[in-house]
Order: sequence, then structure tokens, then C-alpha cells
Amino acid sequence: MQETIRFVFDDRIVEVGFSDSSIFKPTSTVLTFLRSLPSFKGVKEGCAEGDCGACTVVLAEIGSQGKLVYRTIDSCLVFLPMIHGKQLITVEHLAFYKERHRILHPVQEMLIKTNGSQCGYCTPGVVMSLFGLFKTHQNPSRETIEDFLTGNLCRCTGYQAILEAAQKACSGNGTDHFSQYEPGVIGMLKEITGNTDTFECTKGTQHYLKPFTLTEALRLRKAFPASVIINGSTDVALRQTKKKELLTGIIDLSGVEEMCHYAEDQDAFVLGAGLSLEKVRLFAKERLPALHNILKVFGSLQIRNMATLGGNIGSASPIGDTLPLLIAYKAKIRVCSHGAERTIGIGDFITGYRKIALGDDELITEIIIPKTGPETLVSSYKVSKRRDMDISTVSAAFRIELHKGTISEIILAYGGMAPAPVRAIKTENFLNGKSWSRSTIEDAMSVLDKEFTPISDARAEAGYRNTVAKNLLMKFYLDSN
Amino acid sequence: MPHHQPHDSAETHVTGASVFIEDMPVNNQLLYGKVVYSKHAHALIWGIDVSKGLTVQGVHCILTAKDIPGENQMGPVIHDEPCLAEREVTFIGQAIALIAAETEAAALEAEKLITIGYEPLPAILDLAEAIALDNILAPVRTIERGDAEGALRTAPHLLRGELVTGAQEHWYLETQTALAIPGEGREMMMHASSQNPAETQAIVAEILGIQKNEVEVEVKRIGGAFGGKETQGNHVAAWAALLANAAGRPVKIHLFRDDDQIMTGKRHRFHSKYEIGFDSRGLIQAYKVELNADGGSSTDLSRAILERAMLHADNAYYLPNVSITGKAWKTNLPSNTAFRGFGGPQGMAVIENAIDHIARFLKKDAADVRFLNFYRLDEHNLTPYGEKVENNHLFRIFDKLTDSSSYQLRRQEINRFNHENEFVKKGLALTPVKFGISFTTSFLNQAGALVNIYTDGTVLVNHGGTEMGQGLHAKILRIASASLGISPGKVRVNATNTSKVPNTSPTAASSGSDLNGMAVKNAIDLIKERLGILAVAELSARYPGPGFSPGNLVFRNNCIFDKEHPLYKIPFDQLCSLAHVNQVSLSATGFYKTPGVFFDRETGQGSPFFYYAYGMAVSEVIIDTLTGAHRLLRSDILHDVGDSLNEGIDKGQVEGGFIQGVGWCTTEEIKWDKLGNLLTHSPDTYKIPTINDIPRDFRVGFLQDVPNQGTIRRSKAVGEPPFMLGLSVWLAIKDAISAMDDHETEPEFSLPATGEVILMAAEKLKHSRA
Repeated sequence: MQETIRFVFDDRIVEVGFSDSSIFKPTSTVLTFLRSLPSFKGVKEGCAEGDCGACTVVLAEIGSQGKLVYRTIDSCLVFLPMIHGKQLITVEHLAFYKERHRILHPVQEMLIKTNGSQCGYCTPGVVMSLFGLFKTHQNPSRETIEDFLTGNLCRCTGYQAILEAAQKACSGNGTDHFSQYEPGVIGMLKEITGNTDTFECTKGTQHYLKPFTLTEALRLRKAFPASVIINGSTDVALRQTKKKELLTGIIDLSGVEEMCHYAEDQDAFVLGAGLSLEKVRLFAKERLPALHNILKVFGSLQIRNMATLGGNIGSASPIGDTLPLLIAYKAKIRVCSHGAERTIGIGDFITGYRKIALGDDELITEIIIPKTGPETLVSSYKVSKRRDMDISTVSAAFRIELHKGTISEIILAYGGMAPAPVRAIKTENFLNGKSWSRSTIEDAMSVLDKEFTPISDARAEAGYRNTVAKNLLMKFYLDSN
Repeated sequence: MPHHQPHDSAETHVTGASVFIEDMPVNNQLLYGKVVYSKHAHALIWGIDVSKGLTVQGVHCILTAKDIPGENQMGPVIHDEPCLAEREVTFIGQAIALIAAETEAAALEAEKLITIGYEPLPAILDLAEAIALDNILAPVRTIERGDAEGALRTAPHLLRGELVTGAQEHWYLETQTALAIPGEGREMMMHASSQNPAETQAIVAEILGIQKNEVEVEVKRIGGAFGGKETQGNHVAAWAALLANAAGRPVKIHLFRDDDQIMTGKRHRFHSKYEIGFDSRGLIQAYKVELNADGGSSTDLSRAILERAMLHADNAYYLPNVSITGKAWKTNLPSNTAFRGFGGPQGMAVIENAIDHIARFLKKDAADVRFLNFYRLDEHNLTPYGEKVENNHLFRIFDKLTDSSSYQLRRQEINRFNHENEFVKKGLALTPVKFGISFTTSFLNQAGALVNIYTDGTVLVNHGGTEMGQGLHAKILRIASASLGISPGKVRVNATNTSKVPNTSPTAASSGSDLNGMAVKNAIDLIKERLGILAVAELSARYPGPGFSPGNLVFRNNCIFDKEHPLYKIPFDQLCSLAHVNQVSLSATGFYKTPGVFFDRETGQGSPFFYYAYGMAVSEVIIDTLTGAHRLLRSDILHDVGDSLNEGIDKGQVEGGFIQGVGWCTTEEIKWDKLGNLLTHSPDTYKIPTINDIPRDFRVGFLQDVPNQGTIRRSKAVGEPPFMLGLSVWLAIKDAISAMDDHETEPEFSLPATGEVILMAAEKLKHSRA
């Protein structure tokens, strides 16, 4: 058992404990940790919910190639034990000193040149997103730049200057003073990750567990069935940061490598539940276009770097963006308990508003997406007030199989229309066996119009939701031709 | 001099070293300040019990209205806004009690233990209801010329319409913050995130019942303000000061994001009604408009904001017969407040929409109708309030911009595209801005400065303006270094501090560099005069031959010399140390007031603006008529900043202001529930633009060779005007919707044009066509 956590920070291994004398609790966020230090006030809290990115920092860890992999995260949503075994890089680390002269990092230099900073409050976060881009992309496309910066709200500049800075700063191959220290960092990280004993910490009413193997995770799940399961914590952390709730029992799966695999065989794609949504997006790019399409507009990169597919399913939100699509894909969920496992269809797995059919000794381990034939089309749609980094007003995923121009199978799955993701069964029944034509669709739209009674809320009125839901059917028809 | 000097804080910003109030090191005595606010939109308070809260370990004090030593008031103009509610609450988010505790956790626990007894009363939560109940907030104002009623009757064509424009949350990245540090006796040192340190000082003095000379307010930098910290930054400062005074220890209040959104005021939503009469060419003969503003629960700046809305009801158009009525209404919502444009956007949106309406009615291109109605150069150049529109650049900008944006060609391409596509439509719009520069409350057009030069030749400039990202200090730095002819590296601009420069106006109305720049220049001129006498004496002593004259002296390249004899010079730093030895003062105050501006509110006439800033934008959008989604494809902006003080910074103001305007016009929607609870209280539901929402193709240029006479280095103010160019995006969306029936029908439209507004307008057109 490990009682402290360790990570690389300021070129050395830092050990943080959670004893009674420590100012930290196990759910203290990385943001809180940094801001408690006198010299790391660059990172800011702008919203405490992962929407603004003022708290962006970069984590580096050893990737599959044995090299360091850099990713941006929102430090306001990440609990300290989650960065165990990683390198934490902040805006204060980017410049370095050479013969007493400060040399700015190219992303900093360029942001000054383009006037990409005005009031300066969002700037440290913007700089870190640019740094993440710099380390991972050479001559990035505009789309890639936008993707890296979508999670950084700036109210002053109008972003144009930041965009220019990104283009100019990232023309090289990502070599900087961090490159030079990589071997040393890798050595330190290996030293930390060599120990796979579970991290366990009890402080006050809090009990935090971080296992590093699946077997151990399943054992702990059985032993502490009431503990909340987190991986990226992008949803659960809000209970603490926004609702000021004290989370008591926690099982943190972010260290379980075995849940982060993906595989493909003749019949299906298999995705580990612990894969970050960004990894899933990259995997889906050439293989599952509808999944890629929905993940492109899922949260921000900082969120997708932490959030997992298993978590999105496990939280079973009525507007969980991947859920309607998984229904359309006829995905199956593999759940394991200590010594047993079973596979269940996604439709049976989600049982109601934020309810899933998961036993209190089980964990979601894999998502299986069966491959479809050439006569099947699956498409996904998301309608939100703002295109990016917004929660769906309505989302939809459709699947159609045609036999000589006639609908032989159809699935119409919606998010945002009911307390849980649902299929439009009446409309599906209406469409089944009919010809795939515009007039059929127009008729189906009036059936669909009466199928749901959505709510009015901060995002939109019910009438708008109904109209969008039926129009998406037309959009699907147009896209299918 | 370089016109591209970066922001003076650029390097500390990008390295994370810039210090905001939240980052200031304070000794371990610092307490956490928390505000307990009303959960009812309107209610009587029959009792408050804080005793249980006081038992929480780590809680130092809990204050309510009865604990205020001075006056329980923080209304900036009209005293109708209590600092802490006592017997009645008038909106959700109104402060009732304050807690100072050693930790956030202790404060939160104490808050849960405070009981407040409410007796709910009926609340007015929308503008229509306030109007129906005649719940007026301020005197009705009018501005009139000619006979609007008569001309509307006789005009060949008459159109009527209504327009709802929505509220807008400032969403500064740094939420409202203040740090109060008690000093000796009654002294109070404030670090405030306030655009108006002098008013913060006044309000802190009033609520503590002490003198202004006992309160010092310092503003190092503000993490974004946009008007939201012009008066409402005072509130957190007042609360922090009350707690620090009671606890005898430093107290910081840094509002949690959701609390900030719930507690503070927004841009005023407006419900406006217009009638417009015109001839068959589209020339306006009469315009009658009623502007109804939702002021919220108290006056704040609503009078001045409504006034500016009325003074911009004409935007760039000559209105021969005109009647403008302005009414501010009282509702049970947080008091609405200043926001970039200060009512101007709301006033302009109505006439821009009306002209769009005319163009559709006459089947003309809206840009042509706008052009036809622009203020002319030699005639038709009097505004409804009687000020002459001088140095009018509208025509130059229109010609250049329609040309550089290929407006006509793109109009044709868009028409073709729209004929070929059933479900996606493109739209194009050009809109102008003519924005009046000066505070319309004329006495506010003044500024002060204190310039200190040290014996090593370095300069410390103090002035009354606050730095909130807009680059004011960088501009001031350039003005100072250019006036003294020394390297920018020798000049620093100090934190704004009421003890250095007293009785200042807010940094608002785009006036920061106009007013403070002049005050700094005036201070420097005084020092240069003194140094000049000394320089002549010194040059004459060193070089007896040529003879030097004070009138010929030049300050340049870190030296002082006679322009007739440029080879004989004294380095600036040498001269400064000489001045000290020769008992010549190296410090001076400067003062400036804008000449000749006045406005009579009662008659609605005057000459309130020193000059106008002009700009224009052409925007193109594409909409999906099945979902209401839109995308901004391209925006071309040509803006008039006179001789730019700093092109890089001005470009940032234009781009940033424009995008903020685009947000107001598109995705930024504020909603309340039926009880007055803000539904959109976090970025999860309130959507400001992201990097993906800016134009795919964004071209910003400045009108060249248009020096502005009579201002600091012939420059023009730039902070607010570009905001209103966001209306081009709004009307491009309307144009795209209207393409659905070949521009036959005026679409049902409001602002912001959210996906919901777009889709519902599109559906209506679909059904009317079918």
C-alpha cells in the first residue's frame, strides 16, 4: 500500500501526503495544490467546472513508444492522486534561464508578438494549451489549433491573435528545453510507477483508493461498494468544486492500464472503458466516423484528455453525447466483477435517469461496437446553443439498413428528449418496411413530432427540441443520399 | 516611435507572473470573505439569526445591515441601493449578510447555519410586466426634431416593428474581487478590481463612516471588466471593507463564478418599438422610436445608459423628423449596469433592423439603403440632439470596405448559392457604427496625472485610468516616452492609486487614453518647461559659443538639444540629476478637461460628444434551416482610430470588441425561471464565443491618414465602437433566414439570434410558404 502520492514537478519527484498535518485532502485539486505554493499563482480558477480553461496545465507521462506524451488538462477538476506517476508542467516552467537571461518559450514569445494577451487572466491557460499543441503537432491545421484552444475562453482578444500565435509558434518540430530533460524525467517517472501497490488514504470521513491493476480494482469495488468510481472525474469532481460536497468514498481507476486497450477483429471494435475520449476519438477517426463526429464536439480537449468512455456511459446522463450513438451502434457493455463477467446490450444497460444496470461489485471494462455492413449507415448529430464545448440541446444517432430501397432496419436514438437516452420506437415502427424517400421522411416527421414530451430549460424550449428532433431525421435523409 | 510596442504586461502575462488581487501575498492574518444573498426575488425580511453561524470554529464575524457603521448605501448616482438588505430584498443575489472566516469551509458551514426569515412578495420579472404595472425607474426622456408624427403620416411608406434585445453577462475572466487591509486607526487600504477607484474610495468611506482621506484604493490590474466593474466592483470592495473593519484583519472577497453571475447586473435588455416613414428609394423621412430598458432593481447607471441608447438611436443616419423616447423600468432582478457600448448597441440595433426592414420591403440591398441615409458631409449632418456630425468618414469607409470585401460580387454568389440549396442558406450584411466619444455626463470628462522623474532619469507615471487589458498603460507609456524623447524602458506606469491622483472619473466610455493621455502630457509639459530653462543654462555654460534658446529645445533620443545646434546635447538622465542638484522639481501633476462638450437632459439637445468614431463591417454567415445552427464565414472590418496610438493594441480592441458583440448577437442568452432564479449562471449554460465562433476569414483594417485633431497624438478612442459591428453578423443571419422565401417576408427575429430563434423563424417561413 502506498500512503503518499508522487509526481515530477520542478525537475524533481515531489511527494504529497495527506496526514492530518497536511493542508491537503485526497480530493484537493491540482489547482488548489499549485495555488497554495507562493511561486505558482499563474494558474487561475475561472469557473471551477472545466469550461474556461484558465486552470489549464500540462501532464507528461510515458507513452506506448517509451517517450513522453504531453496532454493538457483542466487542473480544477483533477484530484491530486490522479497525477501520481506523471510530470506536472505549469506556465512557470516554460521559460528558462541561460546565463541569467530569461529565454521565453516560443509559444510565449509569439503570444507577445501577436498581442494575444490583454487582461492576462486567461493567458496562463492559453499558453499551456499552446504548449500542448507545440509538443504534439508540427504546422498544425487551423482545425487542430481550434481543437487545442476550444477549451480556453478569452473575453478580451477575440482569439484572432491567439490563432496567429499558434500558427507561428508551432512551425518547428516541438523541440525545446523540455526535450533535453526528457530522459531524466522518464527515469523519475519509472521510479514512481514501478510501485503498483494501491494508494490508499483515509482522512476524516474521506477514503480514497487508487488501484493499479484490474484485479485489485475489482477487489476494492467489492469491498467498498458504496464508493464512487472515478477515472477522469470530469463529472464527479463538480460535486466538490461546484456543489461544495465532500466526497467520502472514492475508487480512482485512472491508474488501471488494463482498462485502456483497444482492439479490432472481424466483427467488432473493442474499446477499454478507461480510454480517454480523446484516445477514442483518434481511434474512431478512420474506423467509426459517426463516433469521431460526435467526439469532435464533445467538451474540450482538456476534458476529453481526462474523461473516459466508461465514465460517459456510467454517468448515464440524459444528454450523454455518446449514448444515443452507442444505441445506434447496438453496442454491448462488458462488465466485470471479482471472478465473473457478463456482456449486456447498451439499451438494457441504461435503465433510467442516471441509472444503469451495474451491480455494486461490478465495473464497466469494455465497450464492444459491432461492425456494420456496407448497406448500413450510422450517423450522429448534436445540436447545441454553441457549436463547441456545449451540452447538447438535442443529440441524435440514427442507423438505417436498406434492402432494395426499402427500410429493413432502423434505429432512431435521441438524447435530450427524455430523462434518459431513448429510441423513437413509434417512428421506427412507422418507417420499418417503407421506402427510403423524402415523402416517407416527411410523414415520419409528423409521427416523431408527437412521440416525445421534452422539457424547457436553460438551453431551449420544448417546442424547439421537438422541431429539431424531427428535422434531424430530414437531415439524416439528406446526408444519406 | 514604435507603434507596435506590446502590452506593458505582456511578458508577465505569458509567464504567469502578473499579479491579480487573488495572487497577492498577504500575511497569515488574511480572512476569507463570503456574501450571503437573497434567495427571493422580492420579499420582506422579518428576521435574521446569525448566532449559530458564529459558533463555527474559524468564523470571526458575521455582519448584517445593523452592523454598518456608516451609511447603508452603495448606489453610485441615486442612493437607492443598500449595501446590505435590511427589511426587504428586491432580487435574488442581493447581499444580506457577510461572513469573515479563516477558511472557505468554515464560511460555508456558517452560511448554512444562518437563518433568514422571508415573507415573499409579488415580483416583477419581465419588462412587459414592469411596463404594464407602470413600474418606472427614472424620468422619461425624449429627444425630438421636426414633426415625426406628421411626417410618418405623409411618408409614402410606413413600417412598424418591435425588437427585443437580450441581456448580456460580462463574463470577465476574473470575477469580482477585493482585498481590504485595515491600517492605523480608521485607515483602510483597498486593493480593488474596480474601473472606478475614486468611487470605490467614496463608497468605502461612506459605509464605514470615515473620511475619504482615510481610504486608499489601489488598482494594479483588472482581469477583464467591460463595464461590469464600473460600479459593481464597488460592491465587493464595500463588503470586504466592512468585514476587515469589523475583524481588524485583512479580508479578501473573490466571488465564485456562479455567485458573480447571480449577484451582478448585466447589459440592459430592451424592448423597443419603432415606426419608420420613407420614400420609394428608401430615404427616411421620419423615425419614431420608444426604447424601454430593464434597469433591474435599482438605478445604478441606468439613466446614463438609456441616454446613450437614445443618443445612438440614429446610428449613422440622418433623420429629418425624429422622436426618440427613453424609459427605464424597475424589475426584481440585479441592477443592470454598464457594458461596453453603454446602451449604444441597444439603440443602434433598432434602427439597423428598421433599415433592414425597409430594404426587404422595397426589394433593395440593405447596404444601398444604408448608404442613402448616411449623414452627409455638407448638409443633412445634424443629429437629432443638435450636434453637427463633423469629419464624417462614413463614405470613405463604405467605398473602401465594399470594394475590399467584394460586397457586390459576393451578394451575387450568395444569391446563386441560395437558389441552389434548399436547406442551407447564406446571408450577408454591412452595418456601420458612428459612436460618440465623451461621457454624456459632461463634468466626468476630466482627468489627472502625477508624473515623477527620478534623478537617474527614469520616470514613474501615475494617472487616473485603470488597466483592464485594454492596453491603456501601454499607450500612456508611449505618450510619456515620446513626449520626453526617452526609451520606453525608462518609463513605468504605476498602479492606479487614489492617493496619487485624486477625484478621478471611471475608466469607461472609451475615454481612458483620450483623457488620461492628455493629463499625462500636460504634467510632462510642465516638467519639460522647468528642465528646458535648466538645459539652456547648462548648454550655454558647457558650450559658450552658439547660444541656445528655450523655444528651440528638443527632447529626443534620450537627450535634450537646441534644434539649431543639434550637436550640443545633454543626456536626459544627466539633466535630471542636475535638476535635483539645482533644486528644480522633477515632479508635476497634470490635468485635462475635454473642451466644449455639454448636454441638456431636459431638452434633449446639446453637443455631448467631442468627436465621433466610425467603423463598418461586412459579415457573411451560413445557416442550417433544419437545426438553426449558424457559422460565421467571413467578416471584413474597416475602422477609424485616427492616428493609432498603438496599432497592435487597437487591432486587439477591434477584434475583441467585435467578437464580444457577436456573442451578444448570437449565443449569449440569459434566462431566468418564473421565480427570478438565473438559469444561466455558469459557463455550462451561458455561452460566450470560443475560438471556433470567430469568422473563418477575419480581416481587420484601419482607415489610413485620418488624424483626429485636438486629441492626444491625433488618436481616437477604440474601446467600445467595434462592439456594435457585431450587428453585421446578426443581420447577416436575418438575411440568410429571409432567403428561404426569396426575401419576400420580414422574418420574426430578435437578439440574440440563437439556434432557437433562427429555427423558429425558419419554420415560420416554411409554413407560410407551404
